[in-house]
Amino acid sequence: MKVRICAFVLGVMSAAIAPARGQSGSANAATKRVSFAAESPGREPKSFAPMVGSWVISRDAGRNVLFIDGRVWKRGQPAGGLADKARELYGARNEEFIESIKAFAYYPIAVYKGLDNFENGEISVRFQMVGGTLDRCAGILFNVKPNGDYLTVRFNGTEDNLVLWTFNNGVRKFVKRAAETVPLEMGTWHTIKISVHGTALQGFLDGKPLLDYTLPEAVSGKIGVWSKTDSMIEFDDFTVMPTAK
Amino acid sequence: MSILATRSVVRLAAFVALLPALSGAQRTKAPNTQRAECRVRPTDAWVKRQAEFFDESKHEWTNDSLRAALLAAAGISAPLAVPVNIGVELVGRQPVLGSNAAAMSDELKRLAGVRGSTWPTKSVVGAAGTHAVYLLALSDTALGRAALHRMMEAGPAESPAVDVAAFEDHMRLVWGRKQIYGTQFRVDDKGRVVLAPMEDSAHADLRREDAGLPPFKVGICLSASLPSKP
Repeated sequence: MKVRICAFVLGVMSAAIAPARGQSGSANAATKRVSFAAESPGREPKSFAPMVGSWVISRDAGRNVLFIDGRVWKRGQPAGGLADKARELYGARNEEFIESIKAFAYYPIAVYKGLDNFENGEISVRFQMVGGTLDRCAGILFNVKPNGDYLTVRFNGTEDNLVLWTFNNGVRKFVKRAAETVPLEMGTWHTIKISVHGTALQGFLDGKPLLDYTLPEAVSGKIGVWSKTDSMIEFDDFTVMPTAK
Repeated sequence: MSILATRSVVRLAAFVALLPALSGAQRTKAPNTQRAECRVRPTDAWVKRQAEFFDESKHEWTNDSLRAALLAAAGISAPLAVPVNIGVELVGRQPVLGSNAAAMSDELKRLAGVRGSTWPTKSVVGAAGTHAVYLLALSDTALGRAALHRMMEAGPAESPAVDVAAFEDHMRLVWGRKQIYGTQFRVDDKGRVVLAPMEDSAHADLRREDAGLPPFKVGICLSASLPSKP
């Protein structure tokens, strides 16, 4: 039941996030690079829709970054923004939703508002791990469907690896792990990137190709950033370069 | 001197100097007993968090016999004095364990090797039992990796976050990596207690707060009470 609610909510929210004016997802669209410099620390990002987890603009070393604060997850509290969204979606039944949300607060996600449909091209984001006892996960979210299904390529600092996961009907499934493990230092910036050409998917860490996989079908859907459980990760320079199929 | 005994001494020395936060292998200075900032108070958030986790007044565990065996093997008895773990460990110093420690460590290794086996978490052996697992794993590198994985996997409600953090630091040094919470200290070639190599000290307090450890500067301060020999 909880899984179904999760998928439904994700789908509804996904459909509700309209692309910014003049930023269609058509092939050959211009490169989009997200800077958080003009955003307000302590608030939710304007360019992303936080759907699961506590995503806020934070200041680190004099720079605004997007911060997923997994400490909120650990305490079992849904984010304030999510409570508001639950109220909008469910009205008087929002408390029931908030109870349910704990089931999928396991995987924080924030959907990029600036592109409605990503099918081909590259997505990259810089990240640094700053904490997390269970996990230190930074991932790229893509192929987000209206029913809540999605794909993610993520790096986990507690495992030192890059892995492709699928989420279908609220169920997470491991797909492929990079053969090479890469220990990264906490508090240092790194870049994760995916390249999609038709069904060919490649995953990169700091420019090094570590993951190759042929997807069962072409990618089509919204994109964003992903994390897991109590991870504390800072993101910056989210960049998407759509290309023609 | 056992870790627990040493911790008691540290707790008795309630007034310890507040030293500047150090990064890397920097020297810890002698305590200044006039500064109150490094006091360990029952009202400190990190102490309260440990008190909450290690409160066993409701007897909410299922396996009494395993718990008793773990406590005996680790050489401790319940209830544990809070704070149970102040996050100050001297590299190379081993806790004084009970006579059946080796057999219990072997049993834990066996359990860790069986997929789906019931790991001794809080709901199984109580909070004191989970601390006993930590002490046993500290003394057995072969058990360490599997135990750390199981403790992390169990989550903060089932594994003491403070022990998981200190244990991760311990294992990272064993694996030749740098610690990330700042709980491990070593004695340098001049006999001084110094912080073992650490990465990202800038965010240390964020991680330490999350783990139920005292602030980094307090940890550095408390390290001044460590003996200069493992």
